[in-house]
Amino acid sequence: MRAPPPAALALLLALAALAPLRAQAQREPPPAPPPPAGPALAAELAQPRIAVDTAFSGADLLVFGATERLLGPAGDNVVVLGIGPGRDVVVRRRVRRLGIWVNGPSAHFRDVPNYYALAATAPVAGLLEEPARRERRLGLDMLTARIPGPRDPEFRNALIELKRGTEQWNEEEAPVEVSGGRLFHARLPLPSTIAPGDYVVQVLLVRANRIIARQELPFRVDRVGATARIANVSRDQPLLYGLACIALAALAGWLGSVIFRRG
Amino acid sequence: MPVYLPIAEMSVDALLLLGIGLGVGWLSGLFGVGGGFLLTPLLILIGIPAPVAVASGANQTLGASVSGLIAQWRRGNVDPRMGLVLLVAGLAGSAAGTQLFVLLRRLGQVDLAVSLFYVVVLGTVGALMVRESVRAILRRRHALPARTHQHSWLHGLPFKMRFRKSRLYISVIPPMLVGFGIGILSAIMGVGGGFMLVPAMIYLLGMPTGTTIGTSLFQVTFVSANVTLLQALQTGSVDIVLTLLLLVGGVAGAQFGAAMGTRLRGEETRALLGLLVLSVAARLLWDLLQTPGSLYFLGPAT
Repeated sequence: MRAPPPAALALLLALAALAPLRAQAQREPPPAPPPPAGPALAAELAQPRIAVDTAFSGADLLVFGATERLLGPAGDNVVVLGIGPGRDVVVRRRVRRLGIWVNGPSAHFRDVPNYYALAATAPVAGLLEEPARRERRLGLDMLTARIPGPRDPEFRNALIELKRGTEQWNEEEAPVEVSGGRLFHARLPLPSTIAPGDYVVQVLLVRANRIIARQELPFRVDRVGATARIANVSRDQPLLYGLACIALAALAGWLGSVIFRRG
Repeated sequence: MPVYLPIAEMSVDALLLLGIGLGVGWLSGLFGVGGGFLLTPLLILIGIPAPVAVASGANQTLGASVSGLIAQWRRGNVDPRMGLVLLVAGLAGSAAGTQLFVLLRRLGQVDLAVSLFYVVVLGTVGALMVRESVRAILRRRHALPARTHQHSWLHGLPFKMRFRKSRLYISVIPPMLVGFGIGILSAIMGVGGGFMLVPAMIYLLGMPTGTTIGTSLFQVTFVSANVTLLQALQTGSVDIVLTLLLLVGGVAGAQFGAAMGTRLRGEETRALLGLLVLSVAARLLWDLLQTPGSLYFLGPAT
């Protein structure tokens, strides 16, 4: 019998709680509604919007929630996956020609997420079978296997290494922390190079090698304040922006020569 | 003190940028070069994306050279007539160079072409400058008679023009060719071209070193303004926050550099600039030859 003592205890407690309700129902004619079944999983983001201002130097996104049943090695497990908007990228390899390193073969990958973070209460490879992990893109190897592009594993591995190097992709660097058996929280690191756009965090509840509940929590990365204004003017009015850059730079140069004039 | 750059979309230490600006600005004022050939590789080294580094480098060069230009103008070291001739030819050359750049990109290997251009041009210019200036220094030490003015076939060309500040009466064709050629190179290499212009004015046109620095700054100011505008329109990769941080250090540095430059002899300035240019060429050659840390690299899809 692999049933864990805490889960069995919880079941007993639940039955005990139901017992008086049933007794009451027998005494009074209108049948009481069954107790509302709590959701198996409830998760939330601490901030649904990440504001990128001039002082932004990366952030941690706090994902927290609770489960109906106890979390633990023998009970349920929670997997948290953060994923960002896709963009086409090219991975190139350098080759040596006549003693000089030049650009060699390249691989074009379509719709590569610019952000990927995975955390779980236990190693994901032990929680779910490969087909399920592949379908949900759980793990960088599963993610890259699903990205359209050349099948050459060499370039796919290089893509993983390069993205990890810029801290835009990470997997299972810190586990999802559990407190009190049912409360969990995870911190997904957002690097300072994170691009503005629409992101999504998926929280999965895994029981006995199966995903039994899933919640999608969208969040946005937005530029705010001066950062947003500069980026918008640069995009919407490039001529004005270019002239302003010239004027500001020339003004700074002129100011410098006035301030340091005495010599 | 981290600061987020809105166009580069990343956070960088502001003090690091101030320091880089100060160093490059000092060299800029001392040698009359924009410093783009130093600044752009430095920015890429600290992780700024290459297009932003090139575009913002040009914008910073503009500010630093305005500062240097005013300082040189006060000292009477600018030949505006020569500057205008070089500028007109330079703008035409950079338009032609942009077309060549597009052609190189179509053939692939544009990175390699740019690196090789850097190594060959910087190496040649640096070696020539060091050789000539060391000879000049030795000649002065041994009090040998200096050959100040040589008459060559250049002086037989038509359309002669008087460049009073440079004490020259030469045909307008050689400065036009110099400006055009450097315009092409600067478009391909993404730099203002001051480090090529100064030696070209000294050795090809026979201008005195003092005037070349001010005149070069005159040309670099307008070329970098042109590049800034084109980059803002075409690639949208000019980061004004990055530019202004670099400039705060840069304008201070340029003033100190310009003041120090007047205390150095012409041939000493040339020798130091030559050594600097040579060392950048050596560094870039080393990057081409050594086995890279990562054989793979990532780029946006074109």
